[in-house]
Amino acid sequence: MTTVTWTIVVGVKQVPDADEVGIDPDTGRLDRASAPAVMNPPDRGALEAALSIKDVVDARVVAMTMGPPMATPVLEEAIAMGCDDAVLITDRAFAGSDTWPTSLTLARAAEQLGADIVLAGEETTDSSTGQVPPGIAAHNGWAQLTYVEAVEPRPEENRLVATRDVEGGHERVAADLPVVVAVAYGEFDPRPAPLHRKLYAENDFEPIEWTAEDLDIKDEVGLDVSPTSVGGMETVQPVERKGEVVETADDLAEQITEVYS
Amino acid sequence: MSEPNDAGIDVDEYEDVWVFVEEHAGEVMPVSWELLEEGKQLSEKLDQDLVALVIGEDLDDVAEAALERGANRVLVADDPVFEPYRADPYGAQFRAMVENRKPTIVLIGGTHTGRDFAGRVAVPTHAGLTADVTEIDVDDDGLLQARRPAFGGDILATILCEDHRPQMATIRPGVFEAGDRDPTVAFDADSITDVDVVVDESDTVSEVLEREIGDTADITEAERIVAVGAGVEGDLEPALELAESIDAKLAASRAAVDEGWVDGSRQVGQTGKTVRPELYVAVGISGAIQHLEGMNKSGTVIAINNDPNAPIFEHADYGIVGDFAAVCPDLAETLASDERTEVTP
Ligand SMILES: Cc1cc2nc3c(=O)[nH]c(=O)nc-3n(C[C@H](O)[C@H](O)[C@H](O)COP(=O)(O)OP(=O)(O)OC[C@H]3O[C@@H](n4cnc5c(N)ncnc54)[C@H](O)[C@@H]3O)c2cc1C
Ligand SMILES: Nc1ncnc2c1ncn2[C@@H]1O[C@H](COP(=O)(O)O)[C@@H](O)[C@H]1O
Repeated sequence: MTTVTWTIVVGVKQVPDADEVGIDPDTGRLDRASAPAVMNPPDRGALEAALSIKDVVDARVVAMTMGPPMATPVLEEAIAMGCDDAVLITDRAFAGSDTWPTSLTLARAAEQLGADIVLAGEETTDSSTGQVPPGIAAHNGWAQLTYVEAVEPRPEENRLVATRDVEGGHERVAADLPVVVAVAYGEFDPRPAPLHRKLYAENDFEPIEWTAEDLDIKDEVGLDVSPTSVGGMETVQPVERKGEVVETADDLAEQITEVYS
Repeated sequence: MSEPNDAGIDVDEYEDVWVFVEEHAGEVMPVSWELLEEGKQLSEKLDQDLVALVIGEDLDDVAEAALERGANRVLVADDPVFEPYRADPYGAQFRAMVENRKPTIVLIGGTHTGRDFAGRVAVPTHAGLTADVTEIDVDDDGLLQARRPAFGGDILATILCEDHRPQMATIRPGVFEAGDRDPTVAFDADSITDVDVVVDESDTVSEVLEREIGDTADITEAERIVAVGAGVEGDLEPALELAESIDAKLAASRAAVDEGWVDGSRQVGQTGKTVRPELYVAVGISGAIQHLEGMNKSGTVIAINNDPNAPIFEHADYGIVGDFAAVCPDLAETLASDERTEVTP
């Protein structure tokens, strides 16, 4: 039997927790500092998908994040779940990066790690673009599969088969490696981290650290190469609703019929 | 004469508003017509052409439909390599068309298909791509103002792409309204251009093994909607009964879709569809911000939930605290006997 060892790289990002984010009235920028930071929930599904492949194929799973050193806890979480290693890609030069340089950075890191598969979440809860995974694939000229609900590794064919959610149905697609896979949110139930892994991750584990220089992209990242910029922010007035609670189904029926009269 | 900017791009070289017409096996996704209608406003303001892009196989009918829906011209890439959809051939073809013809604005439906390949065009062309745009306009200089909700939807951010072209945006289904088809529109052979196909099957890195399409309900046009959430725990019967009594369409939260109770084409919310019915009944839905984003344009909102503290009550006009399995049939019975809810044909 031939043994192939796949390198699976998982992109994880630290995001502010849910609705705790406000706006700094002076700068008009998002006040991320006040909200607790957590791992982007869809990325847990990506980790689970990666580890589920490792359950059946000889593989090394590496988590990567591009962010400030403060983001290290998301890598520790990934290690606790079962990743073999983790990379923190951090550099002041990344400041102001939109999805173009972000996906370039992650694409180069994946290449440097020798990725056969890159796994990512459907989208982040803070920027919610979902563009980073296709961006990684595009920068490297790799195959991609998004909105993935199930994966079937095919090491003997050097391919990955995946079930994608498409408008009104599903499809099964086989992709040549290397491939970038974005998993549909809610489809992979993340496994709990065993206590001994948690302790290891928190006390003994140190991530690999890479800068823009290490990836040879010093002049290709940051604000200057980002095609998009934020032109302004407006607060949206919430839709006014009556918020009345009625006692009986008859009362409710009365209100519903009002809509037609 | 215009000159390249700091990014090395001469923005004046770029013109026309492109709208991607998404079709699968001849069936056009309704979002395409919504974008074409919205794109018309932009192209008129810019005094440039509105161009529909069609990629697939056997596309004559689709191309003509695009002209009858307001496109000034249609670009067609017709080849078996494009059917069924795959990211790599679509991305490569679309990219080549952008590089050769230089549009200033490109609108793509925010479907799984559109969001899948848009990045494969934007990255190699170094275009600005804004996701999930909900309001769109051009300023006096012709610069696209793409607005999208940020952080839970109570902020609208305007995204600009000043120095790069094209200015691309993906827009979710239901955000804009489609126009009517005008079969009297005159067009000639020049209105439809067959472009060179740059992809060959031997270049592809993916293969569709099977594709099954079932429910492709269009909930965006519905006047009345009954939507179910995780609270119904797979028991759709009471909600369906209620829906029937008021001739409403069934929709769902993402949680109910993820459970497999309801098809994804009926999902309402940030990652689903935007609906604006006159009546929206939320059954066993908690009212998460991602859900509200897809239904807050509704007329009257009704909530049925057994938790008096569920956030949905604050975002509803009328609510009742109770078990859906009891409330829905009661309500259905009362409404079915009320002539006012009868649908006039
Ligand atoms: C990136 C991202 C994108 C997302 N996009 C979307 C989207 O497009 N659309 C969307 O809907 N969500 C979306 N979500 C998910 C969203 O955050 C919520 O998790 C989801 O909307 C919850 O669905 P729900 O209200 O049905 O379920 P829950 O939040 O579990 O609520 C169930 C409700 O049912 C009530 N209930 C329970 N039993 C009964 C009973 N017997 N009778 C009556 N009521 C009962 C409960 O009190 C509760 O309020 C997204 C999340 C992320 C991270
Ligand atoms: N800075 C980042 N570091 C690592 N992975 C990221 C980063 N940004 C995005 N990703 C990955 O790309 C997915 C989609 O993100 P986005 O395109 O920003 O919505 C996320 O779920 C992550 O898996």
